[in-house]
Amino acid sequence: MNERPAPEKLPRDGSFDIRDWLRLELMPHFMCPGCGHGIALRALLWALDELRVNKDDLAVVSGIGCSGRTAAYIDANTFHVTHGRPLAFATGLKLARPDLTVVVISGDGDSLAIGGNHFLHACRRNLDMTLILLNNEIYGMTGGQVSPTTTAERFTTTTPFGNNEPVFDACEVAQAAGATFVGREATLQTPNLKDLLKDAIAHHGFSVVEVISDCTEIYGRKNDLGNSPEMILAQKREMRPEAYRNTVDTPFRPNPFNTGVLARRDRPEYLDVYRARTEALRRQGGGK
Amino acid sequence: MAETTLNDDAGAENAEATAARPTNVLIVGVGGQGVIMVSKVMATLAQRAGFEVKQSEVHGMAKRGGGVFSHVRFGHKVFSPTIPRGEVDVLLALEWAEGLRWLNHLNRSRGTFIADVKRIVPPFACRNRADGAPLGYSRETPKDVLSRVRTGYALNASGMAERLGNPRVANTILLGVLSTALDFPEEEWLAVIEQFVPPKTVEVNLRAFGEGRDWVARHGEVGPDEEVDFSPPAGLETPPRRPRVFIERAWCKSCDICVKMCPERCLELDEAHIARMRAPERCTGCRLCEYLCPDFAIRVLRLPQDASEEEASA
Ligand SMILES: Cc1ncc(C[n+]2csc(CCOP(=O)(O)OP(=O)(O)O)c2C)c(N)n1
Ligand code: SF4
Ligand code: SF4
Ligand code: SF4
Ligand SMILES: [Mg+2]
Repeated sequence: MNERPAPEKLPRDGSFDIRDWLRLELMPHFMCPGCGHGIALRALLWALDELRVNKDDLAVVSGIGCSGRTAAYIDANTFHVTHGRPLAFATGLKLARPDLTVVVISGDGDSLAIGGNHFLHACRRNLDMTLILLNNEIYGMTGGQVSPTTTAERFTTTTPFGNNEPVFDACEVAQAAGATFVGREATLQTPNLKDLLKDAIAHHGFSVVEVISDCTEIYGRKNDLGNSPEMILAQKREMRPEAYRNTVDTPFRPNPFNTGVLARRDRPEYLDVYRARTEALRRQGGGK
Repeated sequence: MAETTLNDDAGAENAEATAARPTNVLIVGVGGQGVIMVSKVMATLAQRAGFEVKQSEVHGMAKRGGGVFSHVRFGHKVFSPTIPRGEVDVLLALEWAEGLRWLNHLNRSRGTFIADVKRIVPPFACRNRADGAPLGYSRETPKDVLSRVRTGYALNASGMAERLGNPRVANTILLGVLSTALDFPEEEWLAVIEQFVPPKTVEVNLRAFGEGRDWVARHGEVGPDEEVDFSPPAGLETPPRRPRVFIERAWCKSCDICVKMCPERCLELDEAHIARMRAPERCTGCRLCEYLCPDFAIRVLRLPQDASEEEASA
């Protein structure tokens, strides 16, 4: 394959070792220095490790984008599918193989722009799988076009005078469309993100976790957001942990985001309904 | 009863002054222990007995295990809601170090000190984040403290509560002890406690109150509970682990996140702009650098101090 040197063999101390979950022959990964997607990937693998998910019982589906590309480094069943359609693909996969744990990794462009339709209907159906939406407010992979989550006034290659479109709040859209578990966390809080992902994956129904991630190399540069450490530290100023809801009157900045579990609802899961229905029909001796 | 003002009648000044002085009870502990519940019981009891009552409380960082205290003052006339330093008649501490912290508020000639020896180590007692570093928590034992107060009780109320089957009734046990230091009938205490505890726990709370009173009867005025184990708080004696930071040079992309985010400033970028450990002695093994490295180039291992590398990997 390639000529990359094998990583150093390390002793163990019982803590989570990400190397257990990586396709080491593909490392180092393709992402730019400081890109938040790498940290999000760590949190996901850490969550799966703590949930003791068996690699053979796991399917990770991803779309196109830097976000979607992260799935390629996971040492498990991974599917890198058409831009905007990982949820559609995952829906078919889960219906055919309900025994699998299905996780979808997607971007803001992938799930809210081109794949917005699939996003709404996945929330509505409530099939038992998890969407991890890596929101970096930009189309990173294609060089920095505006996305449905680009902050007002920010510069992208397609908004050279500043963005004047209003943004989508992915978590509010997900709740309105019927997702039964919705949460948000920033990459700065890696252990919290890991815990949130654990809850989301364990949830029976469709779960959405929006991850606030930094596109350091394109979005950061174009908007003078500072170097990688400055960008990730800036997340702290903007986040409002859900635990403190209503305790802070004035947001820390014009564009604050709540973190933590934002919604958790009880609604029949798609496959449960489907099974009950087919069972009832079978007992009746078929449909009309 | 006629209202008494100070210096009303010069001849009876002492007795009058004593009668006019409110009784001051200071209740201290950390968030979540029930300081406020205890002070509500105290205040209601005094009110039922016809006294004027003033209560004031400070919650502080209560949610995070920070200090909580409540002043309860009652008498025929109470002016200020806060107790002046040195005027506390009874200091009731639900947590040991909180009791010590407020000791200088206790009146040396007439004050009574009542404390649970339960120790909750606050975050700021960790003055050095390294594994096995000594804690800044008080090392004073009940013996040291009881020798400095006129009347003092140090008991393992939390342990007693656990034996009663409900660790949350520790404060009711302490109320039992408190009841022996004040002049209210036992039935009154029981009636008020019943009013303030969840209906399902009334029975165990009433038993807990009795245990507190019995404890005083058994131990007399002063003396730590013999059952108390006052060895240093847990966490002090854990064997130190030696953190070691491994950097996969071929994976590092020089983003500088680990360098800027390490709380101890242990890391730097070398001449080739690759992350390098520069101050291993300062590393606490917190793993922040490992968590935040977007390229998985850092691995922090916390190996037992004496284990060789081969042993650890086995
Ligand atoms: C059908 C289709 N349309 C457009 C593209 C081009 N394209 C590739 S990635 C991408 C945007 C990805 O943005 P996002 O989902 O936010 O991911 P990011 O790179 O920011 O993580 C686009 C438009 C494509 N690959 N396929
Ligand atoms: S372009 Fe942006 S999102 Fe893509 S890898 Fe680089 S920093 Fe990350
Ligand atoms: S583990 Fe990493 S971040 Fe923590 S003190 Fe050590 S070098 Fe610094
Ligand atoms: S965080 Fe990782 S990639 Fe960035 S400088 Fe440190 S070791 Fe290198
Ligand atoms: Mg994007």
